[in-house]
Amino acid sequence: MSGPGSLGSALAGTTVVDPARATQAHGFGGQADLPIPLDLAVTGAVAALVVSFTVLAVAWRRPRYETGERGFAAPAWLDTLVSSTGFTVALRVVGMVVFAYAVATAMFGRDSLINPFLGIFYVWLWVGIVPMSLLFGSFYRSISPVRTLHGLLARAIRVDPGEGLFAYPERLGHWPAAFGLLAFVWLELVYPFPTSLGSVRLWCAVYLAVTVIGGLLYGSRFFRLADPFEVYSTLVGHLSVWRRREGRLWVSSPLANLATVPATAGLIGVVGVLFGSTAFDSFGESPAFVGFVQDSTINGNLLRNAALLVFCGGAMLVLVAGTMLTGVDGGTPRRSLPDRLAHSIVPIIVGYVGAHYLTALLETGSRTLIYASDPFSLGWDVLGTADWGYVTWFSYHPTLLANLKVLMVVAGHVAGAVAAHDRAIAILPRRHQLTGQLPLLAAMVAFTAGGLYLLFSA
Amino acid sequence: MRRAVAASIGTLVLLTAVSACSDASGASTAGGASGSSASGSAAADPVTIDVTFDGDSVEPNGERIQVEVGQEVDLVVTSDEPGEIHVHSSPEQELEYEGGDTPKTFELSFDRPGIVEVESHSLDQQIVSLEVG
Repeated sequence: MSGPGSLGSALAGTTVVDPARATQAHGFGGQADLPIPLDLAVTGAVAALVVSFTVLAVAWRRPRYETGERGFAAPAWLDTLVSSTGFTVALRVVGMVVFAYAVATAMFGRDSLINPFLGIFYVWLWVGIVPMSLLFGSFYRSISPVRTLHGLLARAIRVDPGEGLFAYPERLGHWPAAFGLLAFVWLELVYPFPTSLGSVRLWCAVYLAVTVIGGLLYGSRFFRLADPFEVYSTLVGHLSVWRRREGRLWVSSPLANLATVPATAGLIGVVGVLFGSTAFDSFGESPAFVGFVQDSTINGNLLRNAALLVFCGGAMLVLVAGTMLTGVDGGTPRRSLPDRLAHSIVPIIVGYVGAHYLTALLETGSRTLIYASDPFSLGWDVLGTADWGYVTWFSYHPTLLANLKVLMVVAGHVAGAVAAHDRAIAILPRRHQLTGQLPLLAAMVAFTAGGLYLLFSA
Repeated sequence: MRRAVAASIGTLVLLTAVSACSDASGASTAGGASGSSASGSAAADPVTIDVTFDGDSVEPNGERIQVEVGQEVDLVVTSDEPGEIHVHSSPEQELEYEGGDTPKTFELSFDRPGIVEVESHSLDQQIVSLEVG
């Protein structure tokens, strides 16, 4: 994402850079991770292949997770605590404080890479959403500033925040969220000036306006279905141990939790954009693509736009084909299969996104905390973190980092294969259960091997 | 019962596959990494990269070049016009050149492993990416 078109123009243009402090990773250019070694990528891919067929051959023959009964109720005191109004409000207040801080830096901060707004938006929010949701479940929903703003607005004009003016169209499902995610990755990876303060501010303003108005029109279910960040967070949160079951706080294995992802229309679009864009990010940095774009007589920006669409659309098509190429019986419409099996791609996305962004989260995330202490670039130290170091430890341990990345990708693949198997034996007719899983398994192996190849060639 | 057995066999195979993967590659990459850090700064000869600007184009064109940690990298810049080159290392470096008939040489070295991109922002082009390992 550090293509010369992106960071380059931002730096050369209006930004004021303090060279000593301006290094950035991911999304901002700067030094990036070494590629993973070839042999490691190959062994990872082979492991994924072996694992897939092991799951198919020896795993259970009856669905384990479909009933949603696995797990146990969380201790009553914990349930009481997290369900209390005080706790809910406290989380929303935390969200609003960070939001207000971000708005202040966006409005009054300098148009520079040392403005913490960029790191808060691209790293704390976009990258941080994954580990926070893995740990705590639907994290963004709990802190969502748009939900808070919408709630306050609804109260002010005396309407019920839960009820909108119209019923949310069933067919839309998660498609608006898929589009919103595409808009985000476009800003981050394709738009030539992703670090120009004005552009990011405009994007955020449009996001806020669309989601708050959507909330007023369709009620708060709009956020659950259409807010890109909330959809992403809630999806990843299904790999946490927490969920609500019949109103109670419930603890179960991530795989059991994952099986409770509702088969909403457009889910396939969401996972396609998430996987495809991360793959595009790796691909866009590879010397092969950079050289091709620079040699080509076609406008580089056009090529990058096209490549992003090809990656997201391609991921979606592969998944649609992988899920639909099976025998079904009369009761199961073939067209419903992609959305009913799309949840199994979530662990693969999380593994790959984790491998892709691990160092960015640590390094740029910690650097953002340093910048955040001086929100307007005036030499302040309001948080007392201005002198803190940032985390570069993994740069000096590339072997460990590479192993960790491959482990994340393979672990994601294992969980994905198990989740797909469990759903397949639940919804496919008995005689197609084994063969019906093969196309999706092939798609998963392709994703994992492709992801590892991109980590190797980036 | 059978399910439990099947599941545990599955888990065992997974664990073996996964650990085999990390073992095998761990050994080989560890060798590579220690090799580069051992031969590090003093031993390796400087790498010379000729950068030639000609109007709206620049050579090389986004190639990947491998260098070692601490190895000297000489960027020899020939250009008809003045300009600057951005080196996306930590910390970032901006190299200004005046242009004209005599090439200007910048001596760089990197002590942190990673990919360092060298770009011309006025041309919107990546010149090389250095794989520092």
